[in-house]
Amino acid sequence: MSPTSHHLPPRIKRIWGYSTLGSFLFGLVATGLLYWAQIGWHWPGWLVVVSAVITLVEPIVEAGLIPYRYRFTRYQITPVAVEIQSGMVFKKRLAIPIARVQDVTLKAGPLLQWQKLTQVTVATAATSHTIEGLELATAEQLREHIMQLAQEARHD
Amino acid sequence: MTNPRHSHVLGLITHLAKQLQEYWFLFILLVWQWGNLPPLWRGVAIAALVFWFLVWPITKWATLTYAVTPDAVIIHSGIFVRHHLHIPYPRLQTVQRQQWFYLRPFHLETLQLETASHEDSQPEVRLPAVPTSVADTINAYRRQTAEPTATPHAPSAAAPDNPAAATSPAGPSYRITRRALTQFALTSTGVIPLVVVLLGIYGKLPKSWENQAIDQVAHYALPLLLGGVIIVLIIGWLGAYLWVLLRYYHFTLTRTGDQLETVKGFFQRNTVTAPIARIQAVRFKQNILRQWLHLQTVQVLLASKAATDDDDHDLVLLPAITQAQLYATLHPFIPWVPATAPDLTDLAVPRQARWLLSRNALLVVALPVILLCWLWQPWGWLSLFLVPLAYFQGQFAARNTGGRRLSADLIVLQTGHLWTRETFVVRRRQIQSMEVNFSVWMRPKHLAHLTVNVRHGNSKQAIELRYLPAEQVQALYDWYTH
Repeated sequence: MSPTSHHLPPRIKRIWGYSTLGSFLFGLVATGLLYWAQIGWHWPGWLVVVSAVITLVEPIVEAGLIPYRYRFTRYQITPVAVEIQSGMVFKKRLAIPIARVQDVTLKAGPLLQWQKLTQVTVATAATSHTIEGLELATAEQLREHIMQLAQEARHD
Repeated sequence: MTNPRHSHVLGLITHLAKQLQEYWFLFILLVWQWGNLPPLWRGVAIAALVFWFLVWPITKWATLTYAVTPDAVIIHSGIFVRHHLHIPYPRLQTVQRQQWFYLRPFHLETLQLETASHEDSQPEVRLPAVPTSVADTINAYRRQTAEPTATPHAPSAAAPDNPAAATSPAGPSYRITRRALTQFALTSTGVIPLVVVLLGIYGKLPKSWENQAIDQVAHYALPLLLGGVIIVLIIGWLGAYLWVLLRYYHFTLTRTGDQLETVKGFFQRNTVTAPIARIQAVRFKQNILRQWLHLQTVQVLLASKAATDDDDHDLVLLPAITQAQLYATLHPFIPWVPATAPDLTDLAVPRQARWLLSRNALLVVALPVILLCWLWQPWGWLSLFLVPLAYFQGQFAARNTGGRRLSADLIVLQTGHLWTRETFVVRRRQIQSMEVNFSVWMRPKHLAHLTVNVRHGNSKQAIELRYLPAEQVQALYDWYTH
């Protein structure tokens, strides 16, 4: 992709880190429940082992991949198109002309709100695509730009 | 026609029939429980059924009214919750008219109107048994209010001032030949589901019959079984043949100004009108049988679900046309389709990359085949048949992949999925998004996958071409983003 493309805001790494922590906590709870079920209702013990392994390994892998995920995810907003690039092993490049955009949705959960970031979903008449996190200002700029273009007559 | 009107009394029959079709099991339930019910409850049950099967549909019919004004079609419906639906003509995608043979003497038909809204899979409006003049009026109004900018190809005579002129077709027209229709019906893959159902029934025959038969003629068992299968195949194939023949009977395509109209069907005449400006893409489709006969089916992708009974829910423009005549026949109807067959070698799979498609197909079948061979002997060995099938499917896909950018505004893409070759003609402005995919192993080989998304019904049609030369894909991507 051309040099004018951008990385996501660096703070997104922190958010991915917290969401990794979240999946670790979820795994802990699930493992705890399975352990309880093993004691209470004599569920097979290997369920607990498998769950514990997944709980440990999955967050480690996810956390280890964060720098790569950050490095290989880029976006570019030109006057005519939104482009998104992602993936390390299986690379993907996507282009959505702004003239094809039907609507833009800004969405932020508590973590993103705390970091003043927002997820941007761009929908066309056929598909919809998400940029995982953008600065609020950039996102609003993008939305304004698209709304402006939408003022012009469109025939779908 | 500006005042709200009811549909014809015959439309009531449609309402009644629909209710019966959806809730017939309530009758079974009543008959089954009749003995267990005390007399009072029997009365209540009968009253409830009379209400549900008679009063409710009659009320529904009585509360459904429509009006055709110069600006919009207005539908009032609903018993407790009243719906008032306004559809302005520029928003209409397709007008579909279905006329069962028994409605013909009364000049009545079922009318379906569709817009591009994402609401659900039902048509926005369905009016059973309205006079045929209603659709004529709607089509005429629609032509008058057609946005001039949305119909750049419309000839100057497109908008008649007089609604009555709508009934006289002026543009090119095409009528399917008997020979083409027969070939089309004979090569229909509709036989496959039918055969599956019939084989299912065959398998469900009481075991005692079969055992008895086999006991009596033990030494004929195998021929008997084979004979059964052959009979099932013949019945299924005949059924599919008749089905296609009846549905596409006297198929006609005409162009009037900026509208295309298809008419087809024997017992039910089905007429669909769609504006050329609303076509999202044109698709030529050909299963492997029809490839041998050089026969193509032409469909258009629209932003609505007109023609739910057509192949893949897409409006069929030319059911069966020989490959040689295809472009020349279609060009007068859709001006931006090229008049001669384009050369599609720009986006072909390079020879040294063809095996990758076969490899992927083999990887998909590998696990099921291994499991079947291992766990379900001896019949599991039959699954080995899938291995050459997968290999040849890969080769089929590789051979049929192709495409080319024809002009600054038009591309042609061709794929070969599931033994069916599909060719898409797409204008740049109808491409909703474009995707390029490649793995780290594909980069040194200069290969990439290309996905082009266009609107199709209420969702998307992803046109995916795999293992193309990376430079060609890049060129197409640059063309699209600049």
